[in-house]
Amino acid sequence: MNGELLIFLILAVTSIGGGILMLNLTKVVHMVMALAFTFLSIAGFFFMLEAEFIAVAQILIYGGAVTIMMLFGIMLTRHNDQDESRKRGLKWIAAIGVVAFFVLIVLAIDGINWMPEETAFVENNTAQIGLYLFGHYVIPFELTSIVLLVGLVGAIILARRDRKLNKEGEAHD
Amino acid sequence: MMASLLTSAPSLLNFLIFFVLSALLLGAVLGFVTYAILAERKVLGFMQLRVGPNQYGGRFGLLQTVADVFKLLIKEDVIPAKADKPLFKIAPMIAFVPSFAVLAAIPFTDRFYFTDMGVGLLYFLSLTSITTLGILAGGWASNNKYSLLGAMRSAAQMISYEVPLVMSVIGVILFSGSLNLLNIVEAQSTVWFIVLQPLGFVIFLVAAVAELNRVPFDLPEAESELVAGYFTEYSGFRWAFFMLAEYVYIFATAALTTVLFFGGWLPPLQWVPGLGFLAYIPGPVWFVMKFSAVVFFFIWLRGTLPRVRSDQLMEFGWKVLLPLSLANIFLSAFVFELFFK
Repeated sequence: MNGELLIFLILAVTSIGGGILMLNLTKVVHMVMALAFTFLSIAGFFFMLEAEFIAVAQILIYGGAVTIMMLFGIMLTRHNDQDESRKRGLKWIAAIGVVAFFVLIVLAIDGINWMPEETAFVENNTAQIGLYLFGHYVIPFELTSIVLLVGLVGAIILARRDRKLNKEGEAHD
Repeated sequence: MMASLLTSAPSLLNFLIFFVLSALLLGAVLGFVTYAILAERKVLGFMQLRVGPNQYGGRFGLLQTVADVFKLLIKEDVIPAKADKPLFKIAPMIAFVPSFAVLAAIPFTDRFYFTDMGVGLLYFLSLTSITTLGILAGGWASNNKYSLLGAMRSAAQMISYEVPLVMSVIGVILFSGSLNLLNIVEAQSTVWFIVLQPLGFVIFLVAAVAELNRVPFDLPEAESELVAGYFTEYSGFRWAFFMLAEYVYIFATAALTTVLFFGGWLPPLQWVPGLGFLAYIPGPVWFVMKFSAVVFFFIWLRGTLPRVRSDQLMEFGWKVLLPLSLANIFLSAFVFELFFK
């Protein structure tokens, strides 16, 4: 058993554990904290695979921003909400769905043609990501930023109840 | 030493060495926190024409913080009856762990560093946002309106000021061409980035003080309006953990400022002909001197400035700092293209 396998096992347990906790906890805020736990464990996987940039982005965006946004949303609305008991019949449908999904995933993983293993990880992969993003994939990248901008403008319009959309209605990015 | 250790094959011995080194660093950080609190009280005392603590540990009150921490540790462990108990218990841990974890990215000298990571700077900035999670959880779990208000303010403030903070260091990244903090220091061997990036430095400093929740941006724990903000209901060692996280962040932020803008462990002004002798002063000494100056500046601010208002805080963050940091990026790009290519 080498160190990598050990780390993989620990991370697998924490990420799946976070997911199971999220499904089984009853308070909404606890669920979000469990979800944050899963997000951080997934960042750990990326670190293990030497994809530092994606790992850090995962922490920054999912572990930090998305979780805090969800907590904000919950705390400012019905923050004492509890999960109601689920209906019995739905459990069977869910079980069938889970089994079907499992079979599908196993088949899909089985079908992957594993390439001969890469011998060396890319040195400086952050710089490589930057070069690809602003060189080869610059048009999709810019299109994504337009989508984000539209989303921002939409959020601001939804949040503004008063109809005075004067010069101050500018969007921040 | 560190470089060979970091690239060696992982083994149990390796793990033990890193464990011992991190424990040593933790000890050093705790020592810093002990005396930073004392220094803060002393400096504030001198600025307000008082003497500050002088009862325990001789004339200078050298054991004052030790006594305070001991008092906190033997205090009764109080959890409010209506609090959300599991969350209340883990919130201080969630707040503290990232504050220590960010120190892994800081290169203290050219031989003493814990990671040689390609994204060190981003790692630092991203982990700090996890502390906000702990603060929010603590404020919410206390089931107290002041705590919740304090936590909300804190989260809003940290999110708002993280944007200019990240943008202000883009200029530094542009000039050094790397996110690796070791490379960033080495890029400052002739001139520090505070000279090349004055606007970026000011934005960074303001945003960093706001991220630290310190005066003039200490709204989350504004005593006069919110009792103590998110840790109103906390006492004893849990409260100590929140305070510890805050002071460890002062350590981390001061170290990061030193690394990004003051050339880390490098001696200054090496291009001036007569000043080559400065290189004889060892790197750690330079680092500690610059670091202490930054910490002193934070304390000085606390003794000088009043607290800003909540609406001023948000307007300043979004309408002043953000456009300025964007302008700084453009300016840096032009300067870099014109003079440094």
